[in-house]
Amino acid sequence: MRPSVGPRARYGRRRLAALCAVGALVAGVLAACGGGGGSDSGGSTSIVVSHGYTDVEAKALQDAVDTWNGQHPDEKVTLQFNGGNDSALQKTLAGFTAGNFPDVAYEYGSSAAQLARQPKLVDLTDKVQDPSVDWEDFYLSGREASTVDGKVVGVPALIDNLSLVYNKKLFAQAGVAPPTDDWTWADFRAAAQRLTDASTHTYGWAYVNDGSEDTVWRYLAMLWQAGGDLLNADNTAPAFDSAAGKAALQQLYDMAVTDKSVYLDNGNGNYLNLFNSGKIAMLWTGPWDLSSINSDVSYGVTYLPGYQGNHETISGPDLYLLFDHSSARADAAFDFVTWLTSAKEHIAFAVATGDLPVRQSETRLPEYQTFLKKYPAEKVFVANLNNVKHVRPNIPQYAEVSQAVGTMVQSVLLGQASPDDALKQASDQVTSALAGS
Amino acid sequence: MTVAQVPRRRRRRAPSPWHLVLVPVALLMAAPLVWMVLTSLSTLEETRRFPPGLPSSLHWANYATAWHDSPMAHWLVNSAIVSVTCVLSNLVLCSMAGYAFARLRFPGSSILFIATLATLMVPFQVVMIPTLLIVKHLHLVDTLPALVLPNLATPFGIYLLRQFFLSLPVELEEAALMDGAGRLRILRSILLPLMGPPLSTVAVLTFLSVWNDFLWPLVVIASPSKMTVQIGLATFTSAHYTNWPVLMAATVLSQIPVFVLFLVGQRWFVQSIASTGIK
Amino acid sequence: MTGWAMVSPSVVLIAVFGLLPVVWAFWLSFQHNDLQTPGQWAGLDNYRQLAHDPVFRDSVRHTVVYTVLFVPITLVLSLLAAAALNRRVRGITLYRLAVFVPVVTSTIATGVIFTWLLDPDYGLVNTILAKLGLPTSGFFSSPHSALFAVVIMTVWGWVGFGALIFLAALQGIPQDLIEAAQMDGCSRSGAFWRIEVPLLRPVSGFLLVWLTINALQLFDEVYVTTKGGPLHATTVVVYYLYQQAFQFFHAGYAAAIAVVLFAVIALITLVQLRLTRDPSTAGERR
Repeated sequence: MRPSVGPRARYGRRRLAALCAVGALVAGVLAACGGGGGSDSGGSTSIVVSHGYTDVEAKALQDAVDTWNGQHPDEKVTLQFNGGNDSALQKTLAGFTAGNFPDVAYEYGSSAAQLARQPKLVDLTDKVQDPSVDWEDFYLSGREASTVDGKVVGVPALIDNLSLVYNKKLFAQAGVAPPTDDWTWADFRAAAQRLTDASTHTYGWAYVNDGSEDTVWRYLAMLWQAGGDLLNADNTAPAFDSAAGKAALQQLYDMAVTDKSVYLDNGNGNYLNLFNSGKIAMLWTGPWDLSSINSDVSYGVTYLPGYQGNHETISGPDLYLLFDHSSARADAAFDFVTWLTSAKEHIAFAVATGDLPVRQSETRLPEYQTFLKKYPAEKVFVANLNNVKHVRPNIPQYAEVSQAVGTMVQSVLLGQASPDDALKQASDQVTSALAGS
Repeated sequence: MTVAQVPRRRRRRAPSPWHLVLVPVALLMAAPLVWMVLTSLSTLEETRRFPPGLPSSLHWANYATAWHDSPMAHWLVNSAIVSVTCVLSNLVLCSMAGYAFARLRFPGSSILFIATLATLMVPFQVVMIPTLLIVKHLHLVDTLPALVLPNLATPFGIYLLRQFFLSLPVELEEAALMDGAGRLRILRSILLPLMGPPLSTVAVLTFLSVWNDFLWPLVVIASPSKMTVQIGLATFTSAHYTNWPVLMAATVLSQIPVFVLFLVGQRWFVQSIASTGIK
Repeated sequence: MTGWAMVSPSVVLIAVFGLLPVVWAFWLSFQHNDLQTPGQWAGLDNYRQLAHDPVFRDSVRHTVVYTVLFVPITLVLSLLAAAALNRRVRGITLYRLAVFVPVVTSTIATGVIFTWLLDPDYGLVNTILAKLGLPTSGFFSSPHSALFAVVIMTVWGWVGFGALIFLAALQGIPQDLIEAAQMDGCSRSGAFWRIEVPLLRPVSGFLLVWLTINALQLFDEVYVTTKGGPLHATTVVVYYLYQQAFQFFHAGYAAAIAVVLFAVIALITLVQLRLTRDPSTAGERR
């Protein structure tokens, strides 16, 4: 077919048509969506709180925010889901670049030391000294997790701890006396052994063995019980390469490699499903797992087995960190966060969600009895909060220290290294990590 | 023609033996979808057991929960706007670029092509932040265009279509060129009609990659009203607790558009006989 | 001129959203930067450190082993799957849909399913192997087998992608070519290997390059299953990079890793492009 018009002109028209089509599409998309962004209007402020709560906790938080917004129409709070707490840190960091960081961010306590270096972080050291905040009322672990080098960087949002959770039926079936708050490591090992049955793939204990902090913090509880510590007093050198460190590793080696009584979970949380199916007798876990235990599983909770009478446990607090957009917004953010974590508000949140109290005074409020009635198993967890004596060092290099210790524990549990060798290697790695940065 | 004459060879009535190969392969591949659907029809307690078992009865209510307890419809609309725009744009822009790289000689074409591929060679975690900075300078943070713009033309589409253009016989174009037809006209009237399968493949895979993208929407979108389906799905799961049945129901719902597009695209997969009389 | 006009919309978009960020990443690699406080110039420090980093060397080794296994296996299986799907059999569209499912399935769902399937104690695979009297494997839980378990999982996930592309190419091959060959006495499978496969060269070249680029940047599947473990057995280059940037806050170091990775991928890709150039159409420009 011969073109009636010269090729060049036709080409020009066609090209224009194609580009216009795409351009119209893009323009259409641009027009359909307005650019958003909350900003302050004169007189009143609005702040953004980002969090990773889902399900029941998300609903409870929204209820709290609705109450606040009703009482404080000129300090409005908007909630923002951060994609899940595992993504929180990435999103927050990206937010600083993009300028769309929130006023308040819920972060894992382990992120505090890194975020402490963020110039936009609001220093709360002086603010929390105000008597209305009653800073000392927060449990020790929460306060310690919020403090980096003497600077208060956040407000405790959630605390927990590790306790021993066991399947009553499996104990009864095996004829083993159930755990008590006075159990020793030897009692624990013996029971795990008797509850293990290789032919049915049933295990006495489950340990999360993915080399992450989940692997490390159970070990730390044992290390502290044995009288040891992770780092020295000024956090400049490893201290776990000690008799206490070795004793803890040896216990793990004995149970996992010699007795083969430990199910090694590779981080996907299957241990809980197995617990529900009666394949695992004992867990060291926290209150967050209780809601996932099926109703047909009858379980009990006790303190962790102890070393020479020491039943210390470990806590993993999460925090609300505040970032600076303007002083008006920072003030509003602080008001909101202290209100949210006040005794009266937080016990209501705890009753709705099953999260533990963050303040000691919450246990003296009448609503606490409602809490206990609704979550009877959490009584032990709350009492166990008083057994938290040590906290993990809040230093920027903690992630690298954690990785070295995680690998150490993992290699011992897998039978790939002896406790001595693993300790030496981890100690060297920690030394260079602390020196490097 | 008498009845005694058989006009055609008798067709085989027995089912093709290929089913013996295809069925196990299909089962192996489709197993996760089957698992997802079974999980979506279970109760929460049933999913918290291991090894996993079959649901005792079909709890279709999970789908109602996934739909009603979340702004799922809104997420689907956002994802659809972004994905469809990207697909249409890719089909147009990548055909043009793919053809140009395949058949046209112009200064710098090799370098430009390599440069296009080069953008694939750096992991997204690294370029995430600078891309965010660029979007911020364009004042497009927290908008749907921010999700669209980086994907309007993808190296995948360009490279794949270039390869398919290369596999078409050059003779197809020669006659038209001698007639004085322009490149775009050749592309539109002669070549693209033969490119049904690759075009539909680009459409489906581009749609899929934009639809399933999680990390970029996560860092660029903040408002709930602009959330896409993948971010929305994350609201059903958290660090220690996952509402598996509802999450699976929502996930199945979110994948239906992709499967529909795939089936639609398959209609373009007609065995083409490139019979343009060139032999 | 026509060429420029036809590529410029795509090239401009990709230059802005693809190349500029890459350039920024290069620039970042010469700094000590934690993405929070202003960066400090470090010159070649990051690169020097990288050269002496044993964990990085291990991650390179793991990545190479993974790629060398993943790419050929996926290519071959994709081709065979496409051949099987290129039939006029009843219900073929459903079979194609089934093969496409892994491509659509999210990485998280895939990770969950495979950690279940390959669980050393309760997984279906080990149960079957034990019943058949074959040795069982630790799969994701053992440092010796974890990388291979990742290969299995990712091959499964990508075969559908490759099959779809090969299928599109097979559909473009005229039937009369095949029929002519068969009338000359060629068997059906002979026709396949000697006529159809060579015609697939542009597309197999594409898949080779595409799969290699993706394999060398493996991350998501490791993140949702083994998190680089056990004992760093599955720590591949991009996973190490991610840890450096987002867990240890050494963004400059991570950028240096990215630059080195880029150089390697670019080199390999150029070699592959050269090797798979179709001599009959190469240089066919007007």
